[in-house]
Amino acid sequence: MVGGFSILLWVGAILCWIAYGIEYSNDPSSSLDNVYLGAVLALVVVLTGIFAYYQEAKSTNIMASFSKMIPQQALVIRDAEKKTIPSEQLVVGDIVEIKGGDQIPADIRLLSSQGCKVDNSSLTGESEPQSRSCDFTHDNPLETKNIGFYSTTCLEGTATGMVINTGDRTVIGQIASLASGVGNEKTPIAIEIEHFVHIVAGVAVSLGIIFFIIAVSMKYPVLYSIIFLIGIIVANVPEGLLATVTVTLSLTAKRMAKKNCLVKNLEAVETLGSTSIICSDKTGTLTQNRMTVAHLWFDNQIFMADTSEDHSNQIFDQSSGTWASLSKILTLCNRAEFKPGQESLPIMKKTVVGDASETALLKFSEVILGNVMEIRKRNRKVAEIPFNSTNKFQLSIHETDDPNDRRFLMVMKGAPERILEKCSTIMINGQEQPLDESTAKAFHTAYMELGGLGERVLGFCHLYLPADEFPETYSFDIDTMNFPTSSLCFVGLLSMIDPPRSTVPDAVTKCRSAGIKVIMVTGDHPITAKAIARSVGIISANSETVEDIAKRLNIAVEQVNKWDAKAAVVTGMELKDMSPEQLDELLANHSEIVFARTSPQQKLIIVEGCQRLGAVVAVTGDGVNDSPALKKADIGIAMGIAGSDAAKNAADMVLLDDNFASIVTGVEEGRLIFDNLKKTIAYTLTKNIAELCPFLIYIIVGLPLPIGTITILFIDLGTDIIPSVALAYEKAESDIMNRKPRHKKKDRLVNKPLALYSYLHIGLMQSLGAFVVYFTVYTQAGFRPSTLIGLRLEWEKDDVNDLEDSYGQEWTRYQRQYLEWTGYTAFFVAIMVQQIADLIIRKTRRNSIFQQGLFRNKVIWVGIASQIIIALILSYGLGSITALNFTMLRAQYWFVAVPYAILIWVYDEMRKLFIRLYPGGWWDKNMYY
Amino acid sequence: MRQQLRSRRAPTFPHGYRYRLDDQDEVNQNYLADEEEEAEEEARVMRVPNLEEEEKEEEQKEEEEGQGQPTGNTWWQKLQLMNEYLWDPEQRMSLARTGLILVIYFFFYASLAAVITVCMYTLFLTISAYMPTFTERVKPAGVMIRPFAHSLNFNFNVSEPDTWQHYVISLNGFLQGYNDSLQEEMNVDCPPGQYFIQDGNEDEDKKACQFKRSFLKNCSGLEDPTFGYSTGQPCILLKMNRIVGFRPELGDPVKVSCKVQRGDENDIRSIHYYPESASFDLRYYPYYGKLTHVNYTSPLVAMHFTDVVKNQAVPVQCQLKGKGIINDVINDHFVGRVIFTLNIET
Repeated sequence: MVGGFSILLWVGAILCWIAYGIEYSNDPSSSLDNVYLGAVLALVVVLTGIFAYYQEAKSTNIMASFSKMIPQQALVIRDAEKKTIPSEQLVVGDIVEIKGGDQIPADIRLLSSQGCKVDNSSLTGESEPQSRSCDFTHDNPLETKNIGFYSTTCLEGTATGMVINTGDRTVIGQIASLASGVGNEKTPIAIEIEHFVHIVAGVAVSLGIIFFIIAVSMKYPVLYSIIFLIGIIVANVPEGLLATVTVTLSLTAKRMAKKNCLVKNLEAVETLGSTSIICSDKTGTLTQNRMTVAHLWFDNQIFMADTSEDHSNQIFDQSSGTWASLSKILTLCNRAEFKPGQESLPIMKKTVVGDASETALLKFSEVILGNVMEIRKRNRKVAEIPFNSTNKFQLSIHETDDPNDRRFLMVMKGAPERILEKCSTIMINGQEQPLDESTAKAFHTAYMELGGLGERVLGFCHLYLPADEFPETYSFDIDTMNFPTSSLCFVGLLSMIDPPRSTVPDAVTKCRSAGIKVIMVTGDHPITAKAIARSVGIISANSETVEDIAKRLNIAVEQVNKWDAKAAVVTGMELKDMSPEQLDELLANHSEIVFARTSPQQKLIIVEGCQRLGAVVAVTGDGVNDSPALKKADIGIAMGIAGSDAAKNAADMVLLDDNFASIVTGVEEGRLIFDNLKKTIAYTLTKNIAELCPFLIYIIVGLPLPIGTITILFIDLGTDIIPSVALAYEKAESDIMNRKPRHKKKDRLVNKPLALYSYLHIGLMQSLGAFVVYFTVYTQAGFRPSTLIGLRLEWEKDDVNDLEDSYGQEWTRYQRQYLEWTGYTAFFVAIMVQQIADLIIRKTRRNSIFQQGLFRNKVIWVGIASQIIIALILSYGLGSITALNFTMLRAQYWFVAVPYAILIWVYDEMRKLFIRLYPGGWWDKNMYY
Repeated sequence: MRQQLRSRRAPTFPHGYRYRLDDQDEVNQNYLADEEEEAEEEARVMRVPNLEEEEKEEEQKEEEEGQGQPTGNTWWQKLQLMNEYLWDPEQRMSLARTGLILVIYFFFYASLAAVITVCMYTLFLTISAYMPTFTERVKPAGVMIRPFAHSLNFNFNVSEPDTWQHYVISLNGFLQGYNDSLQEEMNVDCPPGQYFIQDGNEDEDKKACQFKRSFLKNCSGLEDPTFGYSTGQPCILLKMNRIVGFRPELGDPVKVSCKVQRGDENDIRSIHYYPESASFDLRYYPYYGKLTHVNYTSPLVAMHFTDVVKNQAVPVQCQLKGKGIINDVINDHFVGRVIFTLNIET
C-alpha cells in the first residue's frame, strides 16, 4: 500500500547500509547506527505492509461471510443415470436437469422446458423473470429464449439442457475476465502520496547536494561528504508517516464500516471523499426495491398513499363507500400470502410469497384493514383466474361475509384500459353510476397522470353476481368462463411504484451542496426513472429536460436548444448512437442526468466518459456485468445485500445496507480523512527540520552532534506516532459537505504553503527552541557556545581524554560522550515539548483552537500523555542503558523549551487570525495549507 | 520565424495557458473543480491567447533559442512557469510578490533571531563565568599521560632513535611550561601539604603554585634529555584532569600507583616515581577556572620504568589512589586510571 512511500523508505534503508559500507571500509570500528537505522526503516515498511494486508484481509473476510459459499451441485445425466456432481466437474455435452430454485450450473442450451422461468438480473440487469423454452428466438445468445446462463437462477418450472460452455468460457466468465482486464487506476490518495514523496525527496536531495558541496568546499574528505549527503537524505525520510497514514486510513475504514460502508482497499477510503460524480443504480440503491402503493384514484379523485418505509400514516379519505369496495377487491383479488411464522415482525418486514405488485397490495391492505388472511377466510374463494399476459387481468369469485347476502362477489384487477372495457358502470361515493363520456374522460386523465409519474397502474372492478342466476351451489368453470366478464362496475385505480428510500432525497441534496453530481443509471423505463429522479432530487424541482421545455413552449423537441435544459434523460438506445465526443458534451453540459433503459455494459461507457472529464467517479453496481464498470471507476461500490460476488470482488467498497445515503456518509468520512491527513503530515514534517538542522549545524559549525540517529528514531517511531494518529479523530472545522470536491490537480494533500509553513516556520522555530535547550545543557556543564564551535573534531577523538572546556576543566572521551547523550536527550525532550504545541496547533487549519474546542478530541490528549510518558520512560527508565543514548535529564531541562512551545502556539493563532480576517487575501493564499 | 514558432507551439497552447490563467495563488484554495467552468475556460483559452502572446513571445523567444528545440511539453511548461515566476503579465506583480515574501521572511527570521538572542542572553546572565553550573559530568576526574602520541602503545626500539624520538619531542614540548625559570617568574612558591585556598571575589585573579620541571628529577629531561628512552627506561608523565573546585578529600593527597595490568607481576620490576611521594600535593588544589587562575600549572607525577621486561608487550595500569577517588568506572577507562602498554625492544 501507498507504494511511493515504501519505496522512499526502502531507498532510505539502502542508503543507510551504503553509508555504513563506506564507513566500514574506512574504519572497521565505526558505529553501527546506520545499520540499525536501515534495519528499522526496512522493518517499518514490512510491519506496515503486514498491518495493511491484515486490515484488507479482514474486510475481505467480512465479505466472504456474506456469500455463503455452498459448493454448487448439478444434477447431471451420465451413463443413463442421474447423478449429483459438483458443478465444476461438468463438461460440455453433459445433460443437466434444473428446477425452480436452482442456480444454473453452466451455460446450457435447453432441450426441454416446463414453465421454466429464469432470473437474469445478475447478467442483464433486467429484474423481470424471463421464461425459457426450447425455441430459438434470436441470433444474439443473450436474447434467445433457449439458453440458460451460468450463475443465473431458475425461479420456477423445470428444464433439461445440454452444457455448451463451462467456467471462464461462459458468458459470466467472460465478463468476469473482462473485469480483471480493466486496468486498475491509481487511487487519488496514492497519487497524492506520490506527490508528497516527490516533495520530500526533492527537499532531501537538494538539501543533501547543497550540503555536500558545502562540505567538500570546507575541505571535508569526499567520502565523509558522501556520508553526510546520505545522512541528510535519510534524515528527511519521515519514518513514522507510512505507519501513521496506514493506521489513520484503517481507523477511518473501521468508522465507515460502522456506517455500512465496508472498504476493501484502504486507499479507497479517501477516494470516496474526492468523488465528484456518483453514478448510482436506481433499484435498491435509491429506491426501497419493493413495489409500494403510491396513489389511488376513486370517486374521481386522486389520493396519495404513504410510501415511506413503514407506511405508518395513510391519510387519504377512507370514509367513502367506494373505498370499502376497493379495499375488498384489494384483499380478495390477490394471491400473495405472508409466509407463516413471522407474526412478531412489523408488516413491512414480513416476507411474502407472490409477485411484487401483489405483495405491495397485500401489505397495503394489511396495514389499512388489518388481518387480510382473516378477511379472505370469511370471503371464501370459489373460483379464480390468475393473471396472465394475454388476459392482462386477474379474477376471482368469492362468497360474501354477509350471511344475509347470498350473492357471489366477483372481483377483478388488471391493466386499467382492459378493466374499463369490461365495465358499464362506475362507483362514485359508494353508488353505482352509469359509465358515461365524462367519467371515462376523468378516468383517462387520472390514468395518464399516474402513468406520467412512472407508476404501474392497476384498475379494479367488481360485480355482485345475482343470486338467482348463481345459486350457492353453482359450479364455476374457469375454462369455459360460465360467468359474466363484462358490464362490471369500475371501482378505482391504484398505482404502485418502487418508492425512493426516505433518506435518499436528503443524501442527494447533501451531494449537491457538496458539489457532487449524481447520475442515475438504470435499466428501467425513462418515465419511471425520471419520476424517481425527480422525487429524490437527482432532477431538481425547477429544472427541465428538453422534453419538458418542448412541452411548455409547445414546440417540437428538435427546436429546443438542448443546452437550455439543465436536466437530461438519456436512454440506452440514444447512448448507443452517441460518439464519445457527444457523450462528453452531454455529461459536461447537463448537471442532472438520468440514463434509462441502459444495459449494464453501457455503464462502463458512462464511467469512461465521466473520467475523460477529469472527474473522480464512484459507481454502484450489483450484477456480474457491472464488474467492469466497478473496476474501471475510481471507486466501485458494490451492494452488500443484492450484489453478486463478482461485483463485490471488483469493487473497492461494499455498501452493507445497499443504501445510497451510506455513500454520502462515506464521502463525508473520506473528506474528513483528507483534511486530517493534511494535518498529520504537517505535524510530522515539522519536526523533520528540527531533526535535520542539528546535523547541518554539526557539519558546518562543527558542534558536537546535538541529536543522534537512534534518538531521532525514538521521536519518529516513538513519541510522535500516537499523536499523529490522534489527529485522525479531529472533527471537521466547518461543514465539509458544503465544499466542492477537491480538484485532483490543485487541491493537493501536500501543497506549497503546507511544506513551507511546516519546514520554514514551525520547523525552524522548533529547531531554535531545541538548540537553546542544547546550549543550556552544554553551557551549564562547562562548554559555552563559543568553545563548542569547531570543537567537533577534537570532541570526537577517542584518544583525547583531557579536552578542555570553557572553564579549563578537562574531559575524558567518555565524559564527553555522556554529555553528548545528555544533549541528545535534552534535544529530544525539547522537540517533544514543542511537538505538543505543534499537535495542538495542527488541530485546526483555519479556526482558532478555541473555536474548535481544546478538549473535544480526547484522543489528542491521549497522544500528548503518551508523548510525555514515553519521554519520561526513555530518560529515567532507560537512561542507564547506554546503547539507547539516553541519559537521566535534570528536571529543569524539561521546561526550557516550554516558552518556545507557547511561542509556536501564539504564532499559529496569529496566522489563523489573519487568515480568518482576510479571507482570500495574500496571507490566506500563502499561509493556508 | 514568429509564425513558425507559433504553429509549432499551437498544440501545446491550451495546456500551458490554462496554467497561466489559473491564478497561481488559487492553487491552494478549496475551490471547485467544476467541469463546466473548466470547459468554458478551455474554450476561452482557445480564443483569447494571441493578444498577449506577442509581448510574451519576445521574452520567450530568447530563452527558447538558448534552449534549442523545446524537447516536449514539460520543458515548455517549466519554462513558462519560470517565466511567470519572474514576471506575470496578467498580474504584473510576480517579482514584486517574491520581494514581498522575502521581506516578510526576513522580518520573521529577524524576530526569531531576536527572540533567540534574548533567550541566550538571559541564559548567560544566569551563568557564572568563573564556576560551571554543574560539574557532575566531568567528575570523577580523568587521568591522562604524556608523551601523547595518539596511541597508548609505547613501542620503540632502544637502538633506533627514530622509534622513540617523537616521545622525547612530545615530552620536551609538554614540559616547556614547567621550566623552572618560567615557574619562578610566574607563580608563587606556596607551602606544601595544604590547600592553597584564595578567598576573595570570584573575579579576582588567582595566584598559582609552582610546579617546577626539576621536581621530576630523572624524568625532567634536564639530566637525561632522552627521558630514559635511549636506555630502555622510559619516563611517562601522568596528570589528573582539571576540575574547577576539586579538592582531594580530607586533606589526603591523591597517590599514583602503577602495576602490570594483566600477566606476570614481575614484568615490571621497579618503578620510580617523581616526586618521590608519587602524589599530587594538596597545594595545587583547588583550581579556580581558567579565567582567573591563568597560570595554573597542573601537577604531574612521573613514572620512571627503570626495569621492565624487554621485547614483550607489557600492559600497565596506573591508578589514582586516595579517599573518594573512583578508579573503576566500567565504561570509562580514563577515570582515575589509565592503561597503556610498554613494548621496549632492544
